[in-house]
Order: sequence, then structure tokens, then C-alpha cells
Amino acid sequence: MRNEVVNIIGSHILKILKYSDVTPYNLYLDRRKFVEALGLTSLAFVATPIAAKQNYSTRAKANTIEEITNYNNFYEFGTSKTDPAKYAHSLRTNPWEITFEGISQNKKKFDIAEIIKGKAIQERVYRLRCVEGWSMVIPWIGFPLRDLINELEVDNNTKFVAFETVYRPEEMREQKRATLDWPYREGLTIEEALHPLTFIATGLYGKELPNQNGAPFRLVVPWKYGFKSIKSITKISFKKEQPYTTWSSENPREYGFYSNVNPNVDHPRWSQATERVIGEGLFGKRRKTELFNGYIEEVGDLYKGMDLKKYY
Amino acid sequence: MTFSTLFRSLPISLLYCVLLTPIPLYFYWGIVNELGPDPLRYLEHKYGELGLIFLLITLSISPLLKYAKINLMRYRRCIGLVAFYYIVSHVCVYFFLDIGLSIDLLLSDLQKRYYIIVGFFAFITLIPLALTSNNFALRKLNIKTWNKIHSFVYIATILSIFHFILMSKTWTGELYFYTAIIIIILILKIKSTKIYKKLSTYSNADISK
Repeated sequence: MRNEVVNIIGSHILKILKYSDVTPYNLYLDRRKFVEALGLTSLAFVATPIAAKQNYSTRAKANTIEEITNYNNFYEFGTSKTDPAKYAHSLRTNPWEITFEGISQNKKKFDIAEIIKGKAIQERVYRLRCVEGWSMVIPWIGFPLRDLINELEVDNNTKFVAFETVYRPEEMREQKRATLDWPYREGLTIEEALHPLTFIATGLYGKELPNQNGAPFRLVVPWKYGFKSIKSITKISFKKEQPYTTWSSENPREYGFYSNVNPNVDHPRWSQATERVIGEGLFGKRRKTELFNGYIEEVGDLYKGMDLKKYY
Repeated sequence: MTFSTLFRSLPISLLYCVLLTPIPLYFYWGIVNELGPDPLRYLEHKYGELGLIFLLITLSISPLLKYAKINLMRYRRCIGLVAFYYIVSHVCVYFFLDIGLSIDLLLSDLQKRYYIIVGFFAFITLIPLALTSNNFALRKLNIKTWNKIHSFVYIATILSIFHFILMSKTWTGELYFYTAIIIIILILKIKSTKIYKKLSTYSNADISK
């Protein structure tokens, strides 16, 4: 647990990279070394060098770019894990606009470039735990969602934030079929959306976000099951009532609105106590799943007193 | 030599070799990490899916003879046993690699997980069939008993498809496909049963009145 927390603090030390000078992948490892060195010196003020070293010698090793880009659940391109890598290239991500609802300013549509401009682009190495029982570690590039929300004139009494994936059946082949009730929708409480861990990813491994990972603009909520981290967002609405969310409407008994990672609350059809770590190979051992995916120190307060078995 | 005579003269042992080769081959690819980011799940699903496919082929052989006059009866036992070997491999991957030989996990899965329970029963149902798929058993057993035992293959296949449906997050193309095939096979089977024939002659008689 302690190691985990230290890791998060580590990833909080912001690596101030401008999106425009994001490094090509072959230079990425050098950049990481450089950033690590930077992090080490800045952390030296608050911690001993030994603790600082632990921050960066991540116990959880990041998955390879091949693993992260070839094993995806993105049903808009097909239900197989390999479909998104095969078919996601057909999605046009430039230009890309995001529409906002529940804000009082006149301008409600923003080009993605306008949103990213001026934001301190950071790297966050997060665990991703899928509701299906597997996990990965992914080095995202982007900015905290709160940085965006704080720039908007959000309506008073907002209690929830709703997100919507783009609906373009011509570019997303599975949307021609009724696999899910398209467009894909997800939501968070406003407290969850404003949490510093809640992240908007626009890149991955120091590169632009590949289409199969939710380009050009996706949510990452590391303490919730992966399906909450909605991809290719075109609409964000601030609401007073709990919004429609795809999986919890598809099968409310199996998928809840909160869907926090919790080893003690099983999926009705399978256990959530352990997870298979992608990249460990055929003989890899299962890993014990942690409450809130190991981010309990950060997000535990959000759910204080809540019956997690009832609000799964 | 025409295609059909070539096909008819195909030695059974060669057929076994060809149909079973994917088992060690996929396992080897799994070891050398050629099965994608999640080799365990890939191997488990592949063996299971191939097991189901061979079960469906076994069940199609008799309607193929009846409705299309294609005679593959000679290969039915072989294909049925091949299906069983795939399913044994599937169960082995689950037990040895997926849950890592843990009896605790196995017991809790068998108590709580519907898809494991259903899959487990499908596997158990197939064991007597596999054990009696040889000339010795055929000679020893009364043909009626033998036929009765082997009609369990329908139950095993229905359980297998349920196992597949229950573990899926949503209805995929493959699921629709396999379910459609099994429904067609079942309709044809029901049509050929004595009870159905009796009932349909009765209802025809009613209409003619």
C-alpha cells in the first residue's frame, strides 16, 4: 500500500512537457530518464533520496506500447480485443470539437486545440483495472479534468458530469449494429470529476493518443473499472441528476454507476478478488486486486460512510 | 481419383494428427509469447472455442447425411473425440494456468460462478461419451444403451453454448453464429424423433378432417 501511495505522489510531480514538443517514441526513454532526474532533485526538498528513488523505480512496470495498443475494449470498433487496433484508423480525429452543456457562458463549443492550449501537459503512470479481471499500467499524457472544469462557468447546483463518445457509424463500424445503445455514455459525480487524479488523456507514452486508445480526448479514472474511462469524447454535460450511463443501463445488476474497483464486491458472474496482469505471459501469476485499485489514500474520503456493496 | 474417393480413403489416424496439431501448436505459441498481450485468455478461449466447433461438426454429420447426402459417418467418432481433447485442454488451461491449481478458487468458482458450473457439467457429461467411443465399448454395450449415452452430446453442446453466453459481456457475432447453428441442429434432431413424427401425423390427420 505504501509503495502505491508513493508512486502516486511520484506521478504528481508534474512533468511539464508542452504538447507541441512531445517526444517521438524512440527518444521517449531518454526523456523519461531526464524527467526522473528532474523529479529526483525537486523531491529532494521534501523527502530523503531513498524515498525519492522509490517514487520512480515504479514497482508497477508500465506495459509496452504494443500491449497497450493491441489489447483494447472499444466496442465502437468491434467486441474483440484486437478489433480496435484493426479498425480504429477509420476514425477522423482532426478537426475535433467538444460541446459543453450546463455552462452559462455563450461559447459552448470548443476545438480541442483551444482546450489544450495553455494547459500544463503532464505524464501520469496509472493502473488500469478492467471489470473483466485483467489489468495494465499505462503512462498517459494529458491534464487533470479539473483544470478544464475550472475554466468553465459551470451552472450552480451541478452534481454530476456526463460524457458522450462520438457517434459516427460510417467511421466506427460496430456502431452500425446494436451491440450497445450508442452513443456510449459515462458519468461521474462532480466531486469525482474534480478529483486531482481524474485525468484527460490526449497522449500515451509521450506520443499522440492512438485511435484505439480513445483519441483524441479521453477520460482516465484510475480507481474505477476501465469502462468508466470513456473514449473519444465529443460532449460533456454538467447536470443536477445522475446521468444515463451505458453499461449500468445495459445491465444494472452487473454494472453500477460508481463501479469503483473493489475486490470485496464480486461481479455477479465472476470474482473481482484477483486480476491477471497483462504482459506477464502464459505462466504469469494473478495479482490481488486492491480497493479503489490501490488509490484508497487519495479517493477514500469521497466514499466515506457509503455502503460500497449497495453503491457498486 | 475423384475428390470424394480421396476423401473416403483418408486414413483416420492422419485426420487425428491434423485436427489435434493446433493443441500443441497454440501452446507453443503461448510459451514463446506469440498469442498477443493476454496469452492465457487467448489459449483458454481458443481451446474452448475449437472444442465447441468440433462438437457442432460432430452433430452436423448425421443431418448432413440425411439432408445433403454427404457421408462423413466414418469420421464422426474421430471428430467427436477431437472435440473432447480440445475441451480437456481447455479445462487444463483453466485449472493449471488460470486459477493456478488452486482448489479453493475452483470450489468457490463452482459454488458461485454460473458459467463455470455450467461448463463443468458440460465437461462431466462428455466423459462417459469419450470413454465409450471405441469398438470395445460398442461390442460390450447394448446398442440402445450406447445410443442413449451418446445422445448426451446434445445436452453437453447446449450446456457449452450456455457456458459461452454466460461468460460473455454482451452478444457478439460469434455467439449469434454458434447459437444459430445449434438451434438448426436441434430443430433437425427434434424433427427426426419418433415423438415429433407421431405428433405431426396426428395434427396432419386433424387438418385433413
